[in-house]
Order: sequence, then structure tokens, then C-alpha cells
Amino acid sequence: MHGRIKIEGKGMTVAKTNKHPIGGLSDKLAQPALLLGALLTALAFVLAFTVASPVVGAKVNGVELIGNEMIGNQILLSQKIFYFHMPVAVVSMVALTGTAFFAIRFLMTRDALYDLKAKICTEIGLVFVICTMISGDLWTRFEWGVWWVWEPRLTTYLILTLMVIAYFILRAAVDEPERRATYASVFSLIMYVDVPISFFITRLIPSSVHPVIMRSDSGMSPDMLAPLMCALFGFCLIVFGLYRFRARTELIAVRVEAAKDTLDE
Amino acid sequence: MLSSMAIYAFLVLVVYGAALSQTGSQFDILQMSGGMLWALIVFTSLLGLNRSFSYEKEDGCLEGILLVPLDRSVVFLAKATSNFLFLLAVEIVVLPLYYFFFLTTTTPQPTWPLMLIPMLVGTIGIAGIGTLLSTITTSTRGKDVLLAVLFIPLVFPLLYACVSATTVVVAGGDIEGIFRNSVLLAVGYDLVMVLLSWVLYDYAVSA
Amino acid sequence: MEAPAVQLDQLSKVFGDRYALKNVSLELPAGSFLSIFGPNGAGKTTLLRILATLARPTSGTVTVAGISLKDDADAAREQIGLISHNSMLYADLNAEQNLQLYARLYGIENAQERVDEMLDAVELSHRRLDTVRTFSRGMTQRLAIARALLHDPQVVLLDEPYSGLDPHAVEIFDSLLEAVRENRTFVMVSHDLRKGFEACSHALVLARGTKVAFAAKEEIDYDAFAALYHETVGMGVA
Repeated sequence: MHGRIKIEGKGMTVAKTNKHPIGGLSDKLAQPALLLGALLTALAFVLAFTVASPVVGAKVNGVELIGNEMIGNQILLSQKIFYFHMPVAVVSMVALTGTAFFAIRFLMTRDALYDLKAKICTEIGLVFVICTMISGDLWTRFEWGVWWVWEPRLTTYLILTLMVIAYFILRAAVDEPERRATYASVFSLIMYVDVPISFFITRLIPSSVHPVIMRSDSGMSPDMLAPLMCALFGFCLIVFGLYRFRARTELIAVRVEAAKDTLDE
Repeated sequence: MLSSMAIYAFLVLVVYGAALSQTGSQFDILQMSGGMLWALIVFTSLLGLNRSFSYEKEDGCLEGILLVPLDRSVVFLAKATSNFLFLLAVEIVVLPLYYFFFLTTTTPQPTWPLMLIPMLVGTIGIAGIGTLLSTITTSTRGKDVLLAVLFIPLVFPLLYACVSATTVVVAGGDIEGIFRNSVLLAVGYDLVMVLLSWVLYDYAVSA
Repeated sequence: MEAPAVQLDQLSKVFGDRYALKNVSLELPAGSFLSIFGPNGAGKTTLLRILATLARPTSGTVTVAGISLKDDADAAREQIGLISHNSMLYADLNAEQNLQLYARLYGIENAQERVDEMLDAVELSHRRLDTVRTFSRGMTQRLAIARALLHDPQVVLLDEPYSGLDPHAVEIFDSLLEAVRENRTFVMVSHDLRKGFEACSHALVLARGTKVAFAAKEEIDYDAFAALYHETVGMGVA
């Protein structure tokens, strides 16, 4: 199956130079990865509500003082959003890193399939970017009591969202395939500059209200770390699975088109 | 192009006049002046950038230039420089007008001439990023809107830094800290973006 | 024997699975005039854009005037002139300014002299200070010829040069071409079979990106050629 399509009945074999294998190891892994990812995130969901502090089955009536802080039920629940918000945000950046990688590959090789892969990565990125915006917004509402603040992390992530949407608007506005792919690749690379900025900005600007999570002294106890890590790895596996499934479908579609063309000739 | 940009900028000022007409005496115009000025610059530069390749597109002149044995990055530098000069010229016209219409009732801090630094840095960034993006959008459908969609998120960090630097020197505040950091941030963003635009320009222009 | 002016070796241009050009090879002797025929989407314009260094081939090599486009595109650009249906002239500059701009871009010594010479050659000296916007289609096309030949290229590419020209302008255009033909190689893409055939010394027929036929004119019988063209292209002969 690798790199060859056999068209039966016509007695022809179309050999293709193959840098984009279908049905290889990564395709075989895609399904288990997706399943495992779903299991892990489900597990994280359960863990977040059962194991993770500050609430281990505790209930707060109205408002109480816990560890020198006034804590209400609302804030206890909103804290649970964090276990999904942060992993989703991280994997959205992972997906966009994939876009940047394939964009560079495309500009180097001019191989349309790299552009296809970059597009798939951005599509998955868009899904997770939107999830991050929604979960983050709910969190801000409950934790800070406002729907939106123009705070550095939120702002840089908002413009990232806008640029990911702009990427698709740009693609839709160009008719000629090669030009579309080139423009999209160029834009996705300048767009990618915002990813590290958004990631590191809470460290660069300490006045930011947004908490810094990824640090060695994050002050998270193992029972909090467990669901977080489960969700993080779970979502990573889901991204990988989704990417391979989408890529396989699209690559097969491309091959079918190629086979049709060959039959026509 | 210069005159239509200047007139557009003037019209934005007139709109500001209507927008601020009901603000009353409690309103501190100085705190807002940096933001309003930069909003004006961004919208005016969008107008200019949209048309920056109109002469090249009209009769395929861009192809004519690409036929010349000439490095593509030279084309980028030339176009970015001309965009920069156009923007600078408009800013020179607009800045006194802006003062005349909105700031004569107040006294800006004596540090206000420092605002020329973020202005220069911001304009360089806008010209650099804008040149790459207008090259891309000039041969797409619905190019005017598309340029805005691509351009505004990309210059946002620059805009943010320039507004904070400008506001500090006009309305007062921590010049040492905020002004220096904002200008440094803007310069850093300029460097990364202009270099990246320069490197990627070859791909964008020959597509 | 002189090196071929244009040499294509296994030239392919592919994007995704769509071949714009597929393994096209040919050698064109210096001083010849090649006409490229084929239906829309046959890859004629793609081939011309690759020769003009405006597009990159996916695989294969292209040599123009003995220079490989891959190795030294800038050196090749010195030897290439392109005349297309776009004039590539700034409509708001006058004739002289346009030529001066391009002369400076090409780094031509004695630019003013060369500009005067070219303006004389295309008989536009009397309109040198008028903006191109005021020119008729035929005059603009004449100035475009002056622009394309300013740096004295060995290989001249013509992309549908007749489109939009009235019969009189076509006549002038033809006589101008005849005048500059010496020592130069021409490659022309045209929809006009008879016109393209008259001018050419070699003919190339492309269909779906592949070379259907390539031959010197003396080996071709026009009627048979027209019939073949009709058959492969599937459209009437003008």
C-alpha cells in the first residue's frame, strides 16, 4: 500500500514519490490515541471534581474564610475550569506550532501536501483556540467577576484568535492554489510570532493578573497536578489523533483525484 | 495618495469631535490622547497601505520590476521606505491639527516631545508589516477588508506599546519605567516583524 | 555551433496533483522564433512565466542564453525581455520617465542615450513627455517593446502581444518585431494560429501540459499542422 496505488483492470501502476505515507504507523496509532485521549480527559474531569483540592467533597455555605481568603461556592467551582482551560490553551499552541512547521516545509519544497497539513493543523488549532477563549472567559467571569479585561495574556491570546480566523479568511480570498498556499504559509509564520509572546507574557509583565502556571514552584499539590496532567496529555493525544484522521482523509481524497485523472488520460 | 490620506485623517479628527462632544468637563482628554492619536494613525495607514500597490498592479508594473535582475529584498526595502515616508508626512500634518482641535484647553506634560520616539518606532513597524501584508492582499478578492483583517491583529502589540509610551509622556507617569519598557517592547517587535517580513517577502512577491 | 538560446530538460510544473507542465524538453537554436500553440490551460503561459523567471519549475532544468535559471536567475534576467498584454508601464509617468526608471533599474550605462535611442526606434520621440495614460493601446504597446528591449536582451518573450491591438497597430507591431529580430531569439504565445505560424521558425504544440509536437517550420505542412492542431486542441482554426 505504501506509496503505490494500483489501479486494477487497467493494468497500470502509478508510482509516486512518497513523503506523505497513508496507513503507516502514525495512522495505526491515531485511533488508539484518540480513544486514550478521550479516556484521559474524562478521567481528568472526574479527578478534578473528586480528588483535587481545595474541595474534597467540601461544601461552603455562602462565603467562608479558607486560608486567609474569602471563598464562595462560585469560586470553588470556577477553579475546576482551570483543569481544562490551561491544557486546551497549551495544545492550541501545539497545533499552531504544527502549522508553522508545515508552513516552513511548504515554502522550502513547494509541495502542496505540506500546505494541506498546515491547513489541517490550523483547523484543529482553531477548535482549541475557541475552546480556550470560551473556557477562559467563563473563568474570568467567575474568578475576576468580569467578562473581559484588557489584560496582557487575554489580549495577546485574543489577537491570536483573530489571526487564526484571518488565516482562513485569507485562504478563502485567493483562488489560485499555489498562490493561496504561499500566502497562507507566509501569514501563518508571522502569525506564529504571537504564540511565544502570548505564552511568555505573564512572565515578562509581572503586573499581569493572569496566573503563571508553568513554573517549578507553581504551588500545586500532587492531587491538583494529577488531573491537570491527565487533561494535558489527553488533549495532546486528541490533537494527534484528530490530525492524523483529518490528514488521512484528505490525503486519500487527493490520491483518488489523482487516480481519476490518470484514468481519464 | 498623500492628500487623500491627509484628508481622511482630518475627517477622523472631525468624527472624534462628534464622539467627544458630550464628555463634559470631568473628562481628562490627556489620558485618552495617546490612544486616539494611534487609532488615527492606524486607520490612516490602512488607507495608505491599501493603495500602496495600486500603481504597480494597474498595468503589471510589479511583474516588470520582478523581471529586473534585482534582489527581492530591495523591492521590499524600497516599498517599505516609501510607505514609511508617506506615513511620516501625514503624521507631520496631522499632529498639529490634533493638538489644535483637542489639546489646546489642557497643558500636556513638558515631556511631550518624547512622544516622537514611539511615533517613529511605531511608524517603522507599521510600514514594515504593512508592506508585506499589502503585497499579499493586493492580488486577492476583497483586498481592502482583508488587509484590515490581517493587519490590525498583527500590529496590535506594537499599537499597545506605542499608546502606553505616548500616554505616559503626554499625561505624566512613570517615564523611567513604563516609557522605557514600552519603547523597548515596540523596538523589539519592530525588529522581529520587519526582519521576518523581509525574509518572507521573496515568497510573497513572487507567488 | 552556437549554444541553444533556450533549452528545456524534463521541465515539469506541478502543484498538488495538477500538472501545468509535464516533462517538456526541447532545444531552440539561437536566432529562431518559437510559437507556442495550445488550448487554454495547456501550460503555454506557465511555460512563458518560467522562462521569464516569474515562476519556478518543480523539476527539470531551464537554460536561457546558456545560463541556468536555477543557478543564476539574475544573470539570466539580463538576457530576457518580456512583452505581454500588460504594458508594465506606470500610467502616470510619461514615456521618457518610464524608460528612464527601467534603465536605472537595469543599471544601464548612458541611460539617457539608450532611452532616446529606443524612443526613436519605436517612433515615440514626439510624445516623450506625455503620460502613458494618454496613449492609445497601440502606442502603449510600442513603448512596452521599447521597455522590454531597453537592456538589449538576447531572448524576447511575447505573451499574447496582439490582444487588444487594432489591425493597424498589429501591422506596426509586426514591422517593429521584424526590425529588432536580428540576433535575437523569440518565444511567443498566441491564440492566433495563422499569425503565430507566419512569424515562427519553430512551432510547439502543448496540450494538458505535455509536448504534443515540436518541429521547425520547414518540416511542417500548414494544412496538416492546422488539422493536428484542430484535433488536439479541439477547437476551430481562426
